[in-house]
Amino acid sequence: MERAENISGAVWPTRRARDRAHVSAKAFAAILLASSGLSAVLASWLPLQMSIITVFLFAGPHNWFELRYFLTRLPARFGRSRNFFLVAFVGIGLLTALYASLPALYYANLWSGANWQNAIATWNTLMVLWISALVLMRAKQKTNRDWFWVLPIACVLCSLNWLSPELFSLAIVYLHPLVALWFLDRHLRRTKPEWLLTYRRCLMLLPLLIAGMLWQLSRTSSLADDNGLFWRITQHAGAALLPNISSHVLVSTYVFLEMLHYGVWILALPLIGATGAIWNVKTIPIANHSRGFPKLIVALLIFSLFMVAVLWMGFSVNYAITRDIYFTVAIAHVLAEAPFLLRMI
Amino acid sequence: MKPTLILSASIAALLASTIYAFGDIARPKPSPAETKPVFYTGLTVASDAKAYEARLQISQETLKRLQEAAANNGDKVSMSQRIMHSSTRTMMAGLFMFLAVSFAGVWLARSGQRRNHKVVAAVFLVAVVFGVATVIVRANAGPPGYIRWQNLPQALKDGKVTSGGVQIEVVQGDDDIKLIIPLRNTNRPGE
Repeated sequence: MERAENISGAVWPTRRARDRAHVSAKAFAAILLASSGLSAVLASWLPLQMSIITVFLFAGPHNWFELRYFLTRLPARFGRSRNFFLVAFVGIGLLTALYASLPALYYANLWSGANWQNAIATWNTLMVLWISALVLMRAKQKTNRDWFWVLPIACVLCSLNWLSPELFSLAIVYLHPLVALWFLDRHLRRTKPEWLLTYRRCLMLLPLLIAGMLWQLSRTSSLADDNGLFWRITQHAGAALLPNISSHVLVSTYVFLEMLHYGVWILALPLIGATGAIWNVKTIPIANHSRGFPKLIVALLIFSLFMVAVLWMGFSVNYAITRDIYFTVAIAHVLAEAPFLLRMI
Repeated sequence: MKPTLILSASIAALLASTIYAFGDIARPKPSPAETKPVFYTGLTVASDAKAYEARLQISQETLKRLQEAAANNGDKVSMSQRIMHSSTRTMMAGLFMFLAVSFAGVWLARSGQRRNHKVVAAVFLVAVVFGVATVIVRANAGPPGYIRWQNLPQALKDGKVTSGGVQIEVVQGDDDIKLIIPLRNTNRPGE
């Protein structure tokens, strides 16, 4: 029986990935800096347009790549990690259903939206407690780790959340794209350690890049959100919650982070061999194992590709509504990142 | 079992009686509606010996912002107001803060490592620095707004200009524009 703890060699295609990529660390840094700089320029120059284009083109595919990546990281047999994955999947399912049900109940006139802030605060609290439980379970698997300090931090976060639930949710919106950079860091550490130092140095430039954007855009007037779509985009970036900050700054910053997020999942991780050849399911332990489910995995990946196509069609027919639905359902992939990131720590 | 039942019934009866007791309390008089400031700006009072009418000059930009603020009717609440508004959320925040301190204490007690003590010492030091910084910043806070208007009578006599802050309120009715200056009576008894 293949245990979760024993699959690292199969999942991390270290040697082959190293042999396949003949890019030097300097070239890697140059690509990172050039793509970050270009993203910052485009996001600052045409924030609304770039938001529309990037979500249209990359929202669906990046979810597909994430699914592919998570399947690769999923052990064929859970072993000691069974409870961890049980809590993880139940949490993802329940929290996603709860998150999607709030606007659904509102639009179905089954809930007036009263106590909206309390509902959001409750959801955020459940999410923080769920992640804390996963962290503690992960710590138990690592015998020499004491991660009890997570509890006071989680309680502080819950406290801040109850003081201002909407700002807490906005913080999640801005922090989520950065999680992809953490994934890349953990992956480089195992597959390309010679690039890690270069990567981290490049990461240190990220705050400078954002500071430069804020400085350049600080005196710009707010974006004209005179139609429903533009209004949705500015609201998503927090224009109503932070009225003293120009919506141009908010949307540009968010779009920039989102572009980095898409870049990591669609380009960086596949190119360094994190997911293996995307059409080859043999790199997925749960499909390759003698007692695995290859047909189910193939069907799941093909169905996901179909959903990407449906999403593109939806964007083409009614961009605004599809965008709303997407950002509601997409909370599932935000939540899914937590357990898989914890597995890499 | 029996004493518990009697005690529970007594508490329920006591709670039920409070509802009827409240029913006999006279309804409180509705308090007059408070006027909320919708806009804050600066005001300069100047005298003009040659003018025949008092004039109120407002810049185009200020007028535009005033119109926007009046349209919102002061609905833009500050962050602190937003937080203070909901007692439920404040209680929940307090509860979690209490739990955070409790868990931190348990963690500290569990881990008797020297490294953790250093971390606690560092956190304590940062908290002290922030506390001292807060005290210093508060010490440099500006004087209250009415101080700027104290010399207005003398300035008007001398034909000098006086500037200060002003809150613009929208009140009910069709009265004329009223300017309320916060002048404190500085004459001490016996002077």
